[in-house]
This record gives sequence, C-alpha cells and structure tokens, in this order.
Amino acid sequence: MADIKIAITKGRLLDNSIAMFERAGYDCSQLKNPGRRLIHPIPDTPFSGVLAKAPDVITYVEHGVCAMGIVGRDTIMEHSHDFYEVLDLGFGKCRFAVAAPKDKDFYAGYETKRIASKYPKVAHDYFLSKGMDVSVIKIEGSVELAPLLGLSDAIVDIVETGSTLAANGLEVIETICQLSARLIVNTAAMKLHRTEILEFVDRCRGALE
Amino acid sequence: MESYKVNTPEGTRDKLFEESDRRRSAEAAITKLFRRRGYREVITPCVEYYDLFVQAQNPLPQESMLKLVDRSGRILVLRPDCTTPIARVAATRLAQHRLPQRLFYNQTIFRSGDANHGLSSEISQCGIELIGAEGLRADVEAVALAVESLQAAGLENFRIELGHTGFFTALAEEMELDGEKVRALRDCIENKSFAVLDDMLAGENSPAAAAMKRIAVLFGGVEILEEARGLTDNAKALNVIAYLSDIYAELKAAGMGDYISFDLGIVSGLEYYTGLIFRGYAPGAGSVIVAGGRYDNLISDFGKAIPATGFAVYVDSLVSCLPHEEAVKADTIIYYKSGCLKQALELINSLPAGSAELSESESESGCMDDAFARGFKRMMIVSKMGSVEVKIGG
Repeated sequence: MADIKIAITKGRLLDNSIAMFERAGYDCSQLKNPGRRLIHPIPDTPFSGVLAKAPDVITYVEHGVCAMGIVGRDTIMEHSHDFYEVLDLGFGKCRFAVAAPKDKDFYAGYETKRIASKYPKVAHDYFLSKGMDVSVIKIEGSVELAPLLGLSDAIVDIVETGSTLAANGLEVIETICQLSARLIVNTAAMKLHRTEILEFVDRCRGALE
Repeated sequence: MESYKVNTPEGTRDKLFEESDRRRSAEAAITKLFRRRGYREVITPCVEYYDLFVQAQNPLPQESMLKLVDRSGRILVLRPDCTTPIARVAATRLAQHRLPQRLFYNQTIFRSGDANHGLSSEISQCGIELIGAEGLRADVEAVALAVESLQAAGLENFRIELGHTGFFTALAEEMELDGEKVRALRDCIENKSFAVLDDMLAGENSPAAAAMKRIAVLFGGVEILEEARGLTDNAKALNVIAYLSDIYAELKAAGMGDYISFDLGIVSGLEYYTGLIFRGYAPGAGSVIVAGGRYDNLISDFGKAIPATGFAVYVDSLVSCLPHEEAVKADTIIYYKSGCLKQALELINSLPAGSAELSESESESGCMDDAFARGFKRMMIVSKMGSVEVKIGG
C-alpha cells in the first residue's frame, strides 16, 4: 500500500483536525495517543499523521516528504508556497489585522510608521499594497508589547476575539483578511497518488462542519 | 566573517565523488540521446544582460535572479533560464538558417531562492528546443524525447503529464468573464482549491461553468479525456481534447502509453506557453523532474516570429530518484621501479576504471606500508620484467 503522510499543525488545529478525520470515518486512536512515536498510522488506510509546527508543515509538504498538510492560512501567507491549497477546512477561524493604541491616530503625521509583527512578510505586503512606506520589525513573542514599550506605532497580528488587544489598550484599525485552516497537497504527490488523495479530500470535505 | 572563507553560499554546495558521478552519467546519457535524435549543442553565456529576461511573457520575478553590475554600470544576471537565451540565438544568429533547428543544452541555471528552504540556487538542466516546427508531430517528438531521456538516465518509474493552454482558455472565453474573474479562477484551478472553485461558480449555470467546476480534478489517466469530452460542446475545447488524444495515440503505439497522464488544470504558464504543456513526476522527487511545452510567442520578442517547443530535465531532481549504485572502490596499488612508468601506465589502463592507483611512494616497502594502512587488497610491483602481484592482508 502507498505510504501517504499528512503533516498536521500541533496545538489548536490538531484537535479540530482529529475531530474532522473522525467524522470522515478515519480511526484516529493512534493520533490521539501519540506516546513517544512520531509517526502515527491511520489503520487500514495508506495514511499516517505527523505532528509539526506550522511553518514545518509547509516545509515538509513543499519538499514532498509529507504528501498533505493541515496548516493555517496565516502561515501559508507568511511563507512562499508551491503546493495545492485544496480545501478551506473552516476551523481555526481568525483574521489578520492592523491594531494600534486606542488613543492615537495611527495615520497622523508624516514620519515612517513602525510596525511590529510575527508575520513580517504579511505586514510588509499589506502596506506595500496600500502604497505606504513602513518599517517592519519582527517580534517573536507577545507582539502587543511593542507599541506599549514605544517600539512600534502599530502591530500586524492574528486576531480572534480582540480581547488581548483591548486589555492592552489597542484596537483593530483595519482587517487585512480572514484566516482559517487549509488542507494542502504536494504537487507531485497529487499526481502520483491521485485516487487515494482525492478520496481523502472528498471525505474531509464531506466532514466539514 | 571568517566562516565565509570555508562555507559555500546559501543554496550551493560541493558535490563529491558518487554524487558528481551520478549527475555526470545522467547528463551523458541524456545528451547522447539528444545527439542521436539530431539535436546540436548550444552553450550560451553564464552571464547575460538583465534586459534579456524582462520579456513581456516572462514569468520570472526579478528577485529570483542573481545580479551583477559590469564595469559600465549595466545590470547582468547569472543565467536564470536556458530557453530565453536560446530564443535570442534563434532569432538573431540562426535567423538565416533553415528551419526547423534542433538545439540542445546542458547548462546550469541560477536562482536566488529564499533562505533556509533547502532549495538549490544552482540547478542543472539538460534540455532541447525544437525551433521552427509546429503541429502534432513536433509536440509528439518533444514528449517522446522527454520520456526517452528519463529512461536513458535509468529512471523506470515516472509519469509525464500533458496539459494544454487551450482548454481553460476556451471555457473562459465561452463564459465571457472579465480579466479579474479569469485571474481568480486561474488561481483556484492552479491551487486545486476545489471548494473555493465551486463557491466561485455557484451562481453560474452554463455548460462552460459546469465544465470549469470539474477542471481542477480533470487529471489522471487517459480516461479523463473521455470525461472532459462529455463535459462540453465547446468546439475549441473539444479540439484540444482531440489533439491530446492524438498525441496519446501516437505515444501509446510507440510503447510509451504507460508513462503518460493528463492534467487539464495546468493553467500556471498561460502567459508563456501557447499550446501543449507537459511536466514529469517521479516517486522520490517532491517537485517536477521535467518541464516543457510549446511557446510560439517567445521568439517574436527578439524580432522574428518562430513557433517552438522544448523541455528541460531537472538533472539533480532526476538523479535523486535513481537507485543508489555503489561506486567502484580502488583495491589495487601499483608500485613501479624507476624507469618503468610506461609499463605501469599500461597496467593501470588495462584495469577497470577507478579500481587502481599509482603509488607515490619512493620505495617498495613504503608502498607496502601504504597499502596496509589504506586497506588495498593487492599491490602490483612493475619492473622491466613484467609485474608481480602481492596480496595484502590475507
């Protein structure tokens, strides 16, 4: 039987992915009790699951060592991509937004604005599309801190409810785009395992909420 | 920085021994085949003017090219693609020659990739350009040669996938879509975003829209041509299907049918390609190992309208799919008495390549020590009288 690996983003998306697989009729017992193993077969199918950090999911799929992956649209936008993005899985919903301190007018003044973000490419592309010159600073941890400390004028980040922003005196001034989890497929794998992969995609599609 | 002294630049690396052997032998097998089919080699410069690659239909983004500035301040690029320089040659230096011209190349292209992606910025390509030939037989020749190239390199399990720019274009024309919508549809089809494609076409009830909905899954064996035929009565789209069927029939009759599959949803190179598009895949390579197609508009950018088709084999990707062969290991060391270099050379030339080395030791005992230390199985002592074999280590 073909050996088709699916890289799944660890954390929040994993629970949703497992729930979707189960609704699609796949046995996820091994995925739910990973133990020390790193590769988790789905019994009686050619598929097995691998858990990875979001950017690594993209790397594994691009290099073809995993045929498919489940990853947020945010990570896809931040990293260059060369794969098929076949399904919007509908879970992991949030949005990319620009947020700035409530009491200030972000657009006031003529100085070049500074933007802090975990997603420097997304931030840069967005302001480029508006024809606005900004300087983008990459921050790894809590991006909300940057404007509080006076490092940046605004942030570009993922926003779900906006409560973290509000608690830190920030508010969304613009939504960049909506985000959710996607099912991605390596281009060569799609061609070499057409039947198996299309069936998997169809079953997942049928199991979307 | 000190480390720049000893490391190679990002995306490049040294290829030692077996790795370079494998690449060279694949290149040799493929170029030998090209010659046998009447193709002649062209070597174009490694650096070209940047302007050459800024063609109207050229999809290469400028940040993917490695640039230099020459003494007079002009921008040069390290060759990012082999076809464009050859198109330039065809339209200029070969303009007075009789067509068709069969040309091949075995060159490296350079790309400036993203950091830390593990992708190569130095990519070796063997490919052909069949310039000044249009129609079915020229396309068949290109695809058949691609199949044979992979076979010649020793690959057994692979797929060459055929697509055509005309199918999507005909349906899009029939639907009378504006440019914006066509671009959005293409993005979806290119990404095989099945669900988004369905949503986007949800309100449309025309037969063309129904066919368009299926286009992203219209890939696979020859049976998908039948399915495509049943989906539309658009004359242009049906012509494309008939054309692909004819190509397949010819290849099948040549015993290549098992290697051929189809994807009517290839829509990525529509600015560049003008007809048949094909790509090769193999287990073990995550990306394409062959890419090619018909590009009838490119050469006219250089002042002469000439139809053309061609393909490139991505040699490194191809080689990564080949079974690993153990290299010949040297097991014989040859010591020659002074004045016997001639006999020693005759001896080493008579042994299998790579199986023996000459000793640089000044004395027989020194050579013996060497032979033990380096694990040779035998030592040959060459004198005017002939050669004597000494077994080493039992």
